[in-house]
Amino acid sequence: MNRPCQPVRREAAPDRLEYVLRSAPPSEETRPGASPLRRLIPLVGEHKWMFWGGMVLICLGRVFEAWMPLFVRMGIDRMTTHNLNLLPPIGGILGLAAVRYVSVSYGRKYVRLVGIKVTYDMRERLYAHFQLQGPKFFARFPTGDLMARAINDLNLVRQLIGVGSRTVIVLGFSGLIAFSYMLSLSLPLTLLLVPVMPFIAGAGFFISNRIFRQSTKVQEGFSSLSEMVQENLNGIRTIQTHAQEAREIERFRGVSGAYADNYFHFMVLNAALNAWMVVFTGIATVIIMGYGGHAVLNHTMSLGTFTAFILYLGIAVQPIQQSGQMVSMFQRGSSGAKRLFEVLDYKPEIQNAPDTKPLPHIDGRIAFKHLSYVYPRRVSAKDARNIDPDTIATGVAALHDVSLDIAAGETIAVLGRVGSGKSTLLKLIVRLLDPAPGTVFIDGHDVLSLPMAQVRSQIALVPQDPFLFADELGRNISYDDPSRTEAMIWAAAEAADLEETINRFPERLQTPIGERGVTLSGGQKQRASLARGLIRNTPVLLLDDCFSSVDTETEEHILSRLKSLRSGRTTMLVSHRVSTARHADRILVLDDGHIAELGTHAELMEKGGIYAGFAKAQGRREVLKQDLEREQAQVAE
Amino acid sequence: MSAAGAVQQPRRLRGAFDDDIYGKSLDVGQVLRLLHWMKPYRWLAYSALVMVVLSAVFAVLAPAVLGRVLVDDIVLHQQGSAFADLGQKHLNAWIVGRFHIDPIVAAGIQYMTWVLLAAAFGRGFGLTFSRAVLNTLRDLRCDLFNHLEHLPSSFYDRVAVGRVMTRVANDVETLFELFAGFGQLAGQFVPFFVAITIMFSLSTTLTLEIFPVLPIVAVCTWAFRRVSRPLYRSIRMTVSRLNENLQENLSGMEVVQLYGREQINFARYSAINNDNRINENKALSVESFYGPLIDGMSFLVLSIIIWFGGHLVFAHMMTVGSVFLFTQFTDMLFRPIVAMGEQWNIVFRAMASGERIFQALDWKEALSVPANPTPLPADLKGKVDIRHLTFSYNPDHLILKDISFTIHPGERIAIVGPTGSGKTSLIRLLCRFYDVDPGEIFLDDVDIMQVDPADIRRRIGVVLQDFHIFSGTVYDNIALGDPAITREAAEAAAILVNADPFIRALPMGYDTPLSERGRNLSHGQRQLLAFARVLAMNPEVLVLDEATASIDTETERVIQDALRKLTHGRTSIIIAHRLQTIKDAHRIVVLSEGRVREIGTHDELIARGGMYRTLYELQFQEMQAG
Repeated sequence: MNRPCQPVRREAAPDRLEYVLRSAPPSEETRPGASPLRRLIPLVGEHKWMFWGGMVLICLGRVFEAWMPLFVRMGIDRMTTHNLNLLPPIGGILGLAAVRYVSVSYGRKYVRLVGIKVTYDMRERLYAHFQLQGPKFFARFPTGDLMARAINDLNLVRQLIGVGSRTVIVLGFSGLIAFSYMLSLSLPLTLLLVPVMPFIAGAGFFISNRIFRQSTKVQEGFSSLSEMVQENLNGIRTIQTHAQEAREIERFRGVSGAYADNYFHFMVLNAALNAWMVVFTGIATVIIMGYGGHAVLNHTMSLGTFTAFILYLGIAVQPIQQSGQMVSMFQRGSSGAKRLFEVLDYKPEIQNAPDTKPLPHIDGRIAFKHLSYVYPRRVSAKDARNIDPDTIATGVAALHDVSLDIAAGETIAVLGRVGSGKSTLLKLIVRLLDPAPGTVFIDGHDVLSLPMAQVRSQIALVPQDPFLFADELGRNISYDDPSRTEAMIWAAAEAADLEETINRFPERLQTPIGERGVTLSGGQKQRASLARGLIRNTPVLLLDDCFSSVDTETEEHILSRLKSLRSGRTTMLVSHRVSTARHADRILVLDDGHIAELGTHAELMEKGGIYAGFAKAQGRREVLKQDLEREQAQVAE
Repeated sequence: MSAAGAVQQPRRLRGAFDDDIYGKSLDVGQVLRLLHWMKPYRWLAYSALVMVVLSAVFAVLAPAVLGRVLVDDIVLHQQGSAFADLGQKHLNAWIVGRFHIDPIVAAGIQYMTWVLLAAAFGRGFGLTFSRAVLNTLRDLRCDLFNHLEHLPSSFYDRVAVGRVMTRVANDVETLFELFAGFGQLAGQFVPFFVAITIMFSLSTTLTLEIFPVLPIVAVCTWAFRRVSRPLYRSIRMTVSRLNENLQENLSGMEVVQLYGREQINFARYSAINNDNRINENKALSVESFYGPLIDGMSFLVLSIIIWFGGHLVFAHMMTVGSVFLFTQFTDMLFRPIVAMGEQWNIVFRAMASGERIFQALDWKEALSVPANPTPLPADLKGKVDIRHLTFSYNPDHLILKDISFTIHPGERIAIVGPTGSGKTSLIRLLCRFYDVDPGEIFLDDVDIMQVDPADIRRRIGVVLQDFHIFSGTVYDNIALGDPAITREAAEAAAILVNADPFIRALPMGYDTPLSERGRNLSHGQRQLLAFARVLAMNPEVLVLDEATASIDTETERVIQDALRKLTHGRTSIIIAHRLQTIKDAHRIVVLSEGRVREIGTHDELIARGGMYRTLYELQFQEMQAG
């Protein structure tokens, strides 16, 4: 049951990660005004031999294919002249078919392989890039948007590289080949066919372009249909209480009718494309019949040449028929690439300074000197909707001139109302936000002068939101280092008062949680998140209001144990509960970003200020809550 | 061994959902049932079928003109050959004789005529067929939606809305794919059979020589599908794992960065990415060898035609034009086989979709409606009498336990109690979302189980917490299509509940279109709009679930004022969260654990010092502490 957590093979990863980061595509600054399509070229360039090799193979295949009608001509001519030797023509056809098969299948494979490779590289590049970003980036590009870019836009780019490029080059080429073969067979007949071509091209281009636009409309119609149903079902109770069913059904009839009509229009366009192609090709055939028929009768053309012409017509028309589709594939691929580069060009806002030196050892002294922090107003009003107001308040000053020295080994509680700047203070220490130079110090060194990796590995922050990953519970606790032993996990779980919970699950540490696993309660999640921070045993521990869903009794229990666990090491705990704060050596009360009060529990109680007010209100509330619980219990009996 | 094995991947529990079930077999019953919806459009469908046959015939006639008339008759002068020409030679001779034109020109006219007719009928088929199918499915969708619209609340308590939504949207869409596929097959099989028939009549020997190639193509297609299907499935799996991983990493980015997990997470992602690439490469290998192979087969057929056809020509058993004709038909032979392979997957998905759609359509869940409902008195006083009411969503856990109390006409009742005490269930029963059993609720001494639920809902005005904003204008949202509520009445209602100022401030006043969910309104504004809606309806009894969302003091004052006017002189039952609302109530019902714990006025209950007093003080403290 208790199988040990297997260590992850860590050595392989950094190489690949470094490679991906190093080989980042040239950014916008280095190539000003470059079109997104041009910026794709270096990506393909890494696989250029494969790409061009594939293209050449496909083109060769087309040459072989275009050669075929000449052997058909030979066959037909021998039939009409009663030449019994049919081996050369069919040998030619079969031979060409074989080499064509080989070259086309390998060619297609190679070109599409490049599409796969570029997608593969791009995925990792995006992933690595996301991991470097800070709150501003995620405020500007919400998760849903980034997902859409990583899925849809990448797909468009891949289609462009793997299929779009091939169609343009190859179909254009085969049209040209067919045309030149036709020229060599009969100049006048080819020239006679030239006037028909613009019609075929025009119809093919315009209709197939419209088909693509209509198909986007159909897709949009589908999603608005789904949305309408979803909204409607969400409000079904209101609809039923107000007897609005009939009206909503009528509206749905409209939406679904419009969708069907849009779809129908799409089908109409499809049918039109087919019909026009058949008609125009028919006209070209009639021209061949008229001229060729007479020429054969006059013996200026052989019947085989006549047949070959009809076959070439098919080869020449095919690329034209698909031209609109190719154009739209390019347009879409180009806009997808643009959206990808927009994200990739975003410079990480929080980076290591160029001359960082790790400290040999961190004691855990923290100092703030005249620290002020204002959240930058960088987001547009449109984007602001998607932003967690805790991470980015728009242009709001969060801290004003905060100065404080925290000794190594001290426990400090930070108390204040919502929005008083408590979380901001903690985030600045671990550089989830960047402080101004010379305002935040660790062991006397400006935090900006230390490598980010060291700061974050020596200072553990347990965030307010207990985000757990959809993985086993034990692996969530040993999140920072999967090679930790099970004993260490249990110790951390015990410190966070989670062992009892874990023991209640049949799979214990191996219990899968989140998404489709066991759903933990808010308090259990917070305790798991706490265990995840405690297991790291860092010189500095920052707890950002991580007891809000834990009941007071359990909290007391955890905090009293934490005292001995963390003795001699620095701990900062943010809370809005007095019961949490009283455990600390000193208590810092923040009010609207200013330091309002600072002192021990006893000192502040005596002072009779904000802290004392909180204590009184919260004490009364606790009593009332207990009363209520008792009374409910009585009713239940 | 896959690369993901080297790097440990997170372990998730994947439950089975009925959505994942694949259709087992071709269920004829289901298809027949679908035809019911096609009935109104059957003439469209029949004419589509006629047109596809005609189109195929003309599509075959055109090359016949080319091969038999132009090549054989005009160019090679193979008069009197006993091979089939579908009457084209006679037609040609007739045109030449009638209009005195060159036989080649006549052949061109013939050819072009057939091409135009084939194109026209082909297009006609496409249009009529897709119209018939689209209409059929549009109606099916509407019927399904109609059915869902009338399912009772209890159904939506259990079922996730997203799940129901996909049945209306995606499952019907899959059926369309199926029908579209059938249409495509029809468009290809008909020419296939016409071509085969003509080929046999031209030369049985040559046709039989070609025939063995068809099973080869069929087997290749089958094998390709067989091999590629699991590959595509594994690609879908790795891709969804990639997306899952990325999504989770983005959501938990703060933790990832704080805990220095960038490298490990990247390695995991990279491993899945690599698995995905391997799968894609495999699928690509299979795919890039299948497509060209089918093309290759058509070249094989071409050489068979020339080889055997040539020898038949020498033996005078076939004309050169017929050989030419055969080469024109090669394409028609392969297309339906390839298309069949593509259709195969859709058939199974469509069967599963059909099953889900019919399951939803057949879902019989309804409130019990009396056969001869008692009408509510025209002049309803608004007395509500609740007697021994017990209720549960599932038998193991009773939500309401034997509740009895009476609400007098015009009385304003506040219901308070801790979470899970049964407040919401009580008002849902009052609105008749569920059957009242056991126990009774009397409205002016009429048992509401004896009344048509629609009648009750016309007389009891309800404002729920998650009220729905309908897409339409502000006025539409107040009047809700009731012609009795004039523009003036709606405005009067809005003025009374203090909604008028903000409505007038909107760009187009009462004609401002509101998006669904009222995204362009603030929370307080939506609340006021809901008040206006229910006031315009002027119900005898008002049921209200007060919003819990915190709003600023000014809005709070406006809402309280509106609430006072709304409930004035009207029997009102309010789940109250705000101190002011509670204080303004005539009587307060305290629910706890599904039982009525206390009943009385605010002063009485405070004086009693029981549960109400505790709840009240707690609420008071929470307001103070912020």
